[in-house]
Amino acid sequence: MKIVVCIKQVPATNEAKIDPETKRIIREGLNSILNPFDTYAIEEGVRIREKFGGEVIAISMGPEKAIEVLREALSLGVDKAILLSDKEFAGSDTWATSYALAKAIEKIGDVDLVICGKQAIDGDTAQVGPGIAAHLGWVQATYVMKVEDIQDGSIKVRRMREDGYDICEMNFPAVITVLKDINTPRIPSLKRRLAARQAQIPVWKPADIGADTDKIGLDGSPTRVVKTAPPPAKKNVAKRIEGTPKECAEALVRELRMRSII
Amino acid sequence: MLHHIKNKVYHIEILPPKQDSQKLEADLELFAQKYNRVMESGYCACITDNAMGHLSFQGTEMIEELGLEVRPEQVMIHLNTFHTLEDLHNILDTCKSKGIKYLLVVSGDGSERLPKLQPSDVGAEGKVESVTSVELLKYIESKYPGTFTMGVAFNPYEPPEHEFEKLKRKLDAGASFIITQPIIEKNKIVDELLEKYPDIPVIVEAWMSRKLHLLSEAVGYEIPENTQYDPIETLKSIHKLYPQCGVYLALLGFKTQYHLIKDIWV
Amino acid sequence: MILTSVTDRSKYSNVWVVAEFLSDKIQPVTYELVGAARKLADKRSSKVWVVAMGSGISQQVGSLFAYGADKVIVVDDSRLSGFIDELEADVLARLIGKYNPEIVLYAATARGRALAPRVAVITNCGLTADCTGLDIDPENGDLLQTRPAFGGNIMATIRSSNHRPQMATVRPRVMRALEPDPDRTGEVIHETVEMSDMLKIKRIIDVFHSDETTVNLGDAEIIISGGRGMKGPEGFELLRKFAAKVGGAVGASRAAVDAGWIPYSHQVGQTGQTVQTKVYIACGISGQIQHLVGMQSCDFIIAIDKNPDTPMMQLADIAIVGDVFEIIPEIMNELSKM
Ligand SMILES: Cc1cc2nc3c(=O)[nH]c(=O)nc-3n(C[C@H](O)[C@H](O)[C@H](O)COP(=O)(O)OP(=O)(O)OC[C@H]3O[C@@H](n4cnc5c(N)ncnc54)[C@H](O)[C@@H]3O)c2cc1C
Ligand SMILES: Cc1cc2nc3c(=O)[nH]c(=O)nc-3n(C[C@H](O)[C@H](O)[C@H](O)COP(=O)(O)OP(=O)(O)OC[C@H]3O[C@@H](n4cnc5c(N)ncnc54)[C@H](O)[C@@H]3O)c2cc1C
Repeated sequence: MKIVVCIKQVPATNEAKIDPETKRIIREGLNSILNPFDTYAIEEGVRIREKFGGEVIAISMGPEKAIEVLREALSLGVDKAILLSDKEFAGSDTWATSYALAKAIEKIGDVDLVICGKQAIDGDTAQVGPGIAAHLGWVQATYVMKVEDIQDGSIKVRRMREDGYDICEMNFPAVITVLKDINTPRIPSLKRRLAARQAQIPVWKPADIGADTDKIGLDGSPTRVVKTAPPPAKKNVAKRIEGTPKECAEALVRELRMRSII
Repeated sequence: MLHHIKNKVYHIEILPPKQDSQKLEADLELFAQKYNRVMESGYCACITDNAMGHLSFQGTEMIEELGLEVRPEQVMIHLNTFHTLEDLHNILDTCKSKGIKYLLVVSGDGSERLPKLQPSDVGAEGKVESVTSVELLKYIESKYPGTFTMGVAFNPYEPPEHEFEKLKRKLDAGASFIITQPIIEKNKIVDELLEKYPDIPVIVEAWMSRKLHLLSEAVGYEIPENTQYDPIETLKSIHKLYPQCGVYLALLGFKTQYHLIKDIWV
Repeated sequence: MILTSVTDRSKYSNVWVVAEFLSDKIQPVTYELVGAARKLADKRSSKVWVVAMGSGISQQVGSLFAYGADKVIVVDDSRLSGFIDELEADVLARLIGKYNPEIVLYAATARGRALAPRVAVITNCGLTADCTGLDIDPENGDLLQTRPAFGGNIMATIRSSNHRPQMATVRPRVMRALEPDPDRTGEVIHETVEMSDMLKIKRIIDVFHSDETTVNLGDAEIIISGGRGMKGPEGFELLRKFAAKVGGAVGASRAAVDAGWIPYSHQVGQTGQTVQTKVYIACGISGQIQHLVGMQSCDFIIAIDKNPDTPMMQLADIAIVGDVFEIIPEIMNELSKM
């Protein structure tokens, strides 16, 4: 089995600010972390390898600093890590991001399974995983809460639905995106951490993966963020309810109904 | 533990480096220096377990990786309920093989990233919904009978009836000494504790940082702000107020304070 | 498609909604999307089309006209029962190529969020996720899509000026359905599935339905949270019933978790989960800062406590003074009357 895990570096707090001029995230002063959902993707990849053999490769597209999350992935047990980094990639939306990642996966070659997190906590779109599958023309399963089985070139997964879940079986090569329910990620040991700090991580540019520069970066992105603003302020209408339990309950339910909460 | 108190052995907290440290090698070096200094002074090094839910390395792997010397009377490992069963056994097995005997068993601080022991892991399914220090104590005693001397935490800032009730369960589960949350003056609840359990060694925690607001954050309840807070003077007064108790030093400054504590406990 | 000239733009018209089906039943979010599409279409003097894909669904599409649709494309095929992403994406991409809509809206559900990005890549279109606001530039037909990002901490407005159609997903209960007009009618078009060999490489083996309340606090819209004031595991039993009644999840303070009354996975706060639900009901939780940091950005906070002066009661939008064991059963009574 050859598995690729896609991971993203994201700002640590969800209080990130946007530059009013460039409309870009002001990354200075923010700690960067591995997208929390991607920890589960890494763990699942490593578990599959532990059970079925093969290798797990982590890839990330981002600034040079994103090498940190690849080191994290190495300390969590992946075998290899590759960074896609170049100014041509900057400003990619989900279409362009998934295109670049798909090109890198093609370049790696002979990949059976791609695992993504459910979504990134900054962009919050959950679009990159299915986007990669579409660019590659592979099958996909999103919101995977359990890998049930892997056998003779196929994978059986449990997918979340709004009203429960289904069991879906598909042939390799395939892309899955995983929920937090899927596993409990391990904590890296000191030994692995120290080794990951020394690892050599190759950096690939658009030319290395044969990416068409019209399809990456800001210019290759069909969507454009044209404005950002703080969310509408919450108005505080503090209200105290006192009385008999019945009166309190009636008053509350009335309030909830007035606000169409129930 | 009683002899620690009789022999005036300070318990000195040391935090292992965080998992996301940018300068890990330097942090490891510093940890080793602090640890060795505590050993040389004859004090007891207390190594925390993911304090405040921050992902950090384990005391046991630090000792192994850095090849630190273990003097059984001088090392205490904190152990909380945020582990996989496999990791828990790794830690306990290492403690056993290294001759570490003192454990401070706590429920501990979690985080989204930390795994949590499940009732079924420790044979408590159907008895509790969530594994606390009580279940962990029982489990360790059942799997490693007689191997460890286990202590528990006591928080004098929580509602006392709950805290005393919980303490009783912890003692029934096998705990044999108590470490309190930091106190900075005479404390009614600690007095009550000493009265209730005159025969159990109690170690009070002294707050060695000047920043009292951090203390409020660490115990969960607001502590009146006192701008004049002087940790060394407070430590002296704690010795006077509680001569029958041992003392645990939190956030001790190794550069600025360590040399000052030498002759305080008389 | 990428637009190369201004005249390209005029080839595209009408607002499409991809109907949301679950177990071949049409879902209310579809009507909400039709309501939103109607407003956009009216501004451009264009039409609202709905694409309905499923198995045995033809009888259900009539209601779509009542809610504002002008035309419905029905793709009724037994292979579309259950969700095969690739099959639906293939059908949609083909229909989009055939009819050239200006805008396509999807539900931001598990299905819609898997389907839409696939179609967007195949058709070379931009896609904006989880829009909370949709408007249109009447001049050039650009869709102005507003969405939260960074966990709701900013609102971004997104355009996709050089590509058509423009695609967006919208979460359930964000838009409003119009009052249905039973006299409205429209045209039905039938289309077919063409991809034939798909099921050889992907199959749905089984579907399980569960009514269990979501344990996952992150996905809930309402959280009923309990603290030390709930007194024991039985108190949390009461909260579970309450939560089941309003379709919410159960949360807890650390005091309750540390007492062993409820699993840690339910803990809210600094050393537990951070939640941002529409409604948070705190029952017997005093509201120490370590708890508040995990829930203070919820939209609407209700506190029940016998002590009127706790930090939680100060923070709450509605503070009810009294005993949880008397008040909660009464609230459930009231809710049953609805
Ligand atoms: C405020 C704001 C709003 C935005 N809205 C949109 C929008 O509506 N539509 C749109 O097309 N773009 C949008 N973008 C751009 C989008 O954030 C970027 O394209 C981003 O690189 C990928 O999208 P995401 O963060 O939503 O990731 P998601 O699609 O949520 O990520 C899912 C998974 O894909 C993988 N993945 C994602 N990014 C990478 C990466 N760089 N390297 C490796 N793996 C990765 C990870 O496994 C991750 O868990 C927006 C950006 C901002 C700042
Ligand atoms: C490092 C650290 C991290 C922490 N992280 C968290 C965290 O992530 N989450 C968290 O919650 N806490 C956390 N805490 C603990 C926090 O400080 C408080 O101890 C805890 O939140 C208190 O829980 P509580 O409100 O349920 O209990 P209490 O403070 O005891 O409040 C109980 C409330 O119930 C009311 N009450 C009692 N009986 C009734 C009744 N019959 N009817 C109505 N009301 C009643 C009382 O008036 C009181 O207001 C943390 C603490 C520390 C030190």
